[in-house]
Amino acid sequence: MAKDHEPTDDSTDLALIARWKAGDERAATSLVARHAPALARFAVSLGQRADVDEVVQDTFVRAFGSMDSFRADSSLRTWLFTIERRLILDRRRSERRRRDDTSVDDVDAATEFDALDEIVAEEAESRVRRAVDQLSRLQKEVFLLRVNEGLSYKEIAEVVGSTEGAARVHYHNAMRAVKESLYV
Amino acid sequence: MFDCANVEMRELLADLAAGTLDDATRVRVERHVASCAECASELETLRLVRSAYAATPTVDVRRIVAALPKPVPFPQRAHGGGYPVKRWIDWRVAAALTMIAVGGLSLAVAHRRSMEVLPRDSTAAVPSVDTPRATPAKVAVAGGAPSGSHDTTRHVGQSGRPPEKSPPKAQLAFAGGMDDMDDASIKALLGALEEMDRAPVAPSEEPDPTPVLPVIKTGQP
Repeated sequence: MAKDHEPTDDSTDLALIARWKAGDERAATSLVARHAPALARFAVSLGQRADVDEVVQDTFVRAFGSMDSFRADSSLRTWLFTIERRLILDRRRSERRRRDDTSVDDVDAATEFDALDEIVAEEAESRVRRAVDQLSRLQKEVFLLRVNEGLSYKEIAEVVGSTEGAARVHYHNAMRAVKESLYV
Repeated sequence: MFDCANVEMRELLADLAAGTLDDATRVRVERHVASCAECASELETLRLVRSAYAATPTVDVRRIVAALPKPVPFPQRAHGGGYPVKRWIDWRVAAALTMIAVGGLSLAVAHRRSMEVLPRDSTAAVPSVDTPRATPAKVAVAGGAPSGSHDTTRHVGQSGRPPEKSPPKAQLAFAGGMDDMDDASIKALLGALEEMDRAPVAPSEEPDPTPVLPVIKTGQP
């Protein structure tokens, strides 16, 4: 039904990984070029305002450092999303400790919207962002992985550490909330 | 605001917006959307979301690649290579052999001990039986009796076969103290012990699997 997402062709990824393991560094360049934009988008959608480049780099460094543990049960991109999500959550925990128990999520939501509002020019897109930002963190993750990255519920469940059914429920609840925010 | 009742089509709207459907499915969903206001509205929302989050921050691919760890050649790998796995298997084999050796030795020792103990104690807990030819002598024996029943009177009779030369204590052991017995019982017990000491020893040294009971003769030659 759903065809393979062209930029995340699994067989191509596996071939590139094999070439990189054999010592071909150009294969690493190809892998990074294929997946870095999606990882950057995902980082932004998770509320990462600054250091997106650094987060994406850390994700690749960690992934390539443990490439032997990649079993290809899921696609490489799903695995990279999982690693990036953990990195971002770890960063948030560290920031939260530094801020001495300040509610990071609230601060993130407000400042994130302000920052993104400067980028997004059109009013419709701004409203959409506002609607999506009102979702819970998990709903937002699931919703954007489904809509922006075209991941299946199974892949989303792997990324967020949930079940396929739970991912489906989160998506539909998020969609309902966004529509209510936009049209009601 | 309502949701379309066609769940299958609704599920495919996100894939349609993401452009991940094959051609046949895409045409089918597009046809449905053309005739369904709810799905058309939802698809429009999905496209707005994709548009709002389409802006991708620039990433420096070259800088990322420069920071990546170098692939480790196969023989030098600390983990995941052939040699460490083989060594791990060797460890498991060695551990299994050690366990087998230790287990076998333990069984041999246990078996040897049981063989040493069995001939002496094999009759210790066997209750006495009466024979019709012997006049039963009532001897208070508490060995093997449960707690609270140590004063139970048991009959020690003639078994019809010569008793083995085994320590009488093992055959007439009692768990209670001497204070629990009256004088008559103690005398009867001592008499039984003397009789056992005087009894002839069976010529065969082979252990008899049948328990042998003590012979108590009272008033008969």
